[in-house]
Amino acid sequence: MALLDIRDLDLSIARGSELLPVVQGVSLTVEEDESLGIVGESGCGKSLTALAIMGLLEGSAVRIAGGSMHFQGQDLLALSPGERRRMMGDQMAMIFQEPMTSLNPVYRVGDQIMEAIIQHRGMSRKRARERALDLLDLVRIPDPIRRIDSFPHQMSGGQRQRVMIAMALACDPKLLIADEPTTALDVTVQKDVLELMLGLQRRTGMSIVLISHDLGVIAETCDKVAVMYRGRIVEQASTSELLSNMSHPYTLGLLGSIPALDHDVEWLDAIPGRVPTLDEVVPGCAFHPRCFAAEGSCRTVDPVAAAISPAHFVRCHFPQGSTT
Amino acid sequence: MLIYALNRVLTLVPTLLAASFLVFIFIHLIPGDPASILLGDTATPEEVAELSRELGLDEPLWTQYVLWLGNVLQGDLGTSVFFREPVLSVIADGAETSILLATMTMFWIVTFGVPIGIVSATRHGSWIDQATSGGAMLFASVPTFWLGLYLILIFSVGLGWFPSSGFPSLADEGGASNLRYLVLPSLTLAAPNAALIIRLIRASMLDVSREDHVRTARAKGLHPARVAIKHIFRNALIAVSAAFGFTFAALVSEAVVTETVFSLPGIGRLVVQSVLRRDYPVIQGVILIIVVFYMAINLLVDLAYASLDPRVSLK
Amino acid sequence: MNVLLSIAPIFRGRGLATVGMCWLLVVGIAAIGAPLLAPFDPLEFDPFIRLSEPGWPHLFGTDHFGRDSLSRAIYGARMAILIGSGSVLIALVAGGLIGMLSAYFVRLGHLLMRIVDVLMAFPALLLALVLMTLLERSVLNTVIVIGIVYATTTARIVFGMTLKLKRDVFVDAAICSGAGNTSILFRHILPNLMSPMLVQASFIFAFAQLQAAALDFLGLGLPPEVPSWGNMLSEERVYVTRAPWLLIFPGALIILSVFSMNLVGDALRDNIDPRFKDDIAGV
Repeated sequence: MALLDIRDLDLSIARGSELLPVVQGVSLTVEEDESLGIVGESGCGKSLTALAIMGLLEGSAVRIAGGSMHFQGQDLLALSPGERRRMMGDQMAMIFQEPMTSLNPVYRVGDQIMEAIIQHRGMSRKRARERALDLLDLVRIPDPIRRIDSFPHQMSGGQRQRVMIAMALACDPKLLIADEPTTALDVTVQKDVLELMLGLQRRTGMSIVLISHDLGVIAETCDKVAVMYRGRIVEQASTSELLSNMSHPYTLGLLGSIPALDHDVEWLDAIPGRVPTLDEVVPGCAFHPRCFAAEGSCRTVDPVAAAISPAHFVRCHFPQGSTT
Repeated sequence: MLIYALNRVLTLVPTLLAASFLVFIFIHLIPGDPASILLGDTATPEEVAELSRELGLDEPLWTQYVLWLGNVLQGDLGTSVFFREPVLSVIADGAETSILLATMTMFWIVTFGVPIGIVSATRHGSWIDQATSGGAMLFASVPTFWLGLYLILIFSVGLGWFPSSGFPSLADEGGASNLRYLVLPSLTLAAPNAALIIRLIRASMLDVSREDHVRTARAKGLHPARVAIKHIFRNALIAVSAAFGFTFAALVSEAVVTETVFSLPGIGRLVVQSVLRRDYPVIQGVILIIVVFYMAINLLVDLAYASLDPRVSLK
Repeated sequence: MNVLLSIAPIFRGRGLATVGMCWLLVVGIAAIGAPLLAPFDPLEFDPFIRLSEPGWPHLFGTDHFGRDSLSRAIYGARMAILIGSGSVLIALVAGGLIGMLSAYFVRLGHLLMRIVDVLMAFPALLLALVLMTLLERSVLNTVIVIGIVYATTTARIVFGMTLKLKRDVFVDAAICSGAGNTSILFRHILPNLMSPMLVQASFIFAFAQLQAAALDFLGLGLPPEVPSWGNMLSEERVYVTRAPWLLIFPGALIILSVFSMNLVGDALRDNIDPRFKDDIAGV
């Protein structure tokens, strides 16, 4: 049984009285001790998918419109908000893109880490503080005894992201969702933080869903990859299979493109054009206006996901791997 | 923190001096000889000449100001024309009423304003929110004296629950039960100010709730009430505290009206009566004390702000 | 008409603000057409019908001099508009100029903003009270005093907004293209301040009503014979138990007008440059 099993997930955003689909038919599985990377340009729906898994869409304009999500065999959509909450920060945890703003500026970092421990484990403050010290040591913050009483603004971006990771790991989650965890960091720090996360995954045996716009980062770190474009998974395979047999023109474009220096790129150099906005209707394959391989049928018929090898799915009329 | 506080006090000094100069010059702006203005119509020419010498009226203006400021610092604010008493003791007589009224008003503002503001923000968009924020704006649009008059009409004249006017000191017969005289006035005074606080708390909590760290708090699986209080409200309090000085100013202004409506023997009514009696030394003294008090409150607000936001105190 | 069309979208989905706008139009019409609309002379005494109840022909009843309340209320709309727009004009022109110049010319700004700080050390109504003791009770003086009080807050707000605008690229571009100070201030900065100032204007208009009414009540505002809503309340308050309607009508008129203006200001504020939203406090 997979740790996380998502089938045909649809998400819609309410705009006025109408519902615009933002994520359509996304199916993903994550096994225990496995890492899955989701890659795509900004606005492709990868972050919303992550928030949906975590259960953080409540209170936003985005609704789960269809599909199913199971975690450890439990139907996530059938749980009450209270039951979801008891799972958050305990069995599944999340870290976010902006370490500079993701910590509460008025509390000491130690207290922020302890908050989750006390919430889920019911530990005394004294024991929770010991645990927080261990965690800070685990994420390799130098001099944890002094740093535990620092305020977030006294730390660098890299250190804050380490604190975020420590906070996420506070209750030994089975699943860690990391939404662009390194994008906002300096290039030199990015590598350290990624290596830290991978090392921790190997040590604890948790599973990771890593979200990034950078296929390079994902290829280096994840066991398998899902490529998203405009709310859909256009290609999904194990990392080794994908790298050796890249099939969707969009994936090829992503690899060919140089990671932009911006935090969240709007469009990539190697792919001409831009992502159509949500309310633009694109007949046929959503990617055809920007695709180098587009032909007549691409403009009229929306392709379905097809297996080109046992665990390699592509949503394209003309998958490149099979033709070349 | 101590250095920060001292720094703030020092920056207030020039403003305070300038404000006191304005208060001083006020007497000189009134047409006529300052000494006879200060003594009123009944003064004899000898008294006027005596005071003129005391104030140094033939000296340059700034010398007069220094003389006056020296007196003020020694607690001599002049003599009331109407009461024939030192201004300071006239003001002190009204202090009990005004301070108790302000305290009771703050009590209502905090007990009603804060929870309603929090509920309005956490349920934002719901009918509760629309009703409370609409209601708050409505209350902020009601003239204080009109509200006071109708509270008297309903709760004193109609139901007879509370006395309609006056306030015997707590030291007089009745003791602490005399506080019932202040219930209606404090509610009158609290209504528009609570409305202000509700809207302020709501707006800043909505701002904070869009910040990234709130999502982090929710991702920890904390109870929504804990997220609302410990994370959103705690951060919103920084902005609210910054605006608190403004609320206090509104409170002073409206206290003038409220004390008049309920005939309370406080400092607010003293100002109005002194204006109508042309008792200029009292006007001058009260204004000076209120300005100093107002600036002290603003200083406290600044310090509260610094202690609420770790990013400020360490700058 | 063009102006009306351009502000129409602001009120879409804001039922209350629309109602508020309509009410303000009614007040405006009453103010302009007062001599035609008022059924009686607002100043005429009639001792035989003192304190008569609402009914025909005195729809709002009569006051203790036997004057027709409805007619006084209609003329009161005139005073409301006069005091509101007069104070707004003074506050915006004086405060706006001080704020803009202070932000633009740094040395002058230090001095001017110090003065504004000092004036702001006096709570609003208290400052108005002190100023009124120096002046005669008259419509003009009331307007001037309230205008001065709100000129200080306006100066602060405009100062902050001009500082933000000064950092904008278009100002640099204007300097580079050789525009003079006057041209930059009035042709580049001022147009960008217009819509936030309009929001500020609506809040000042609302506050001015309450301040004027409070001054009237304290006997320090308009001369007592002037038919204003504040004076109607102030004059008749001793009859509140005998003739409660005399206080309900003018009170309701003030509340409705202030509430409407606040609603309109709130609606307008949601449509201005988000950078300036926090500058304007409103209610």
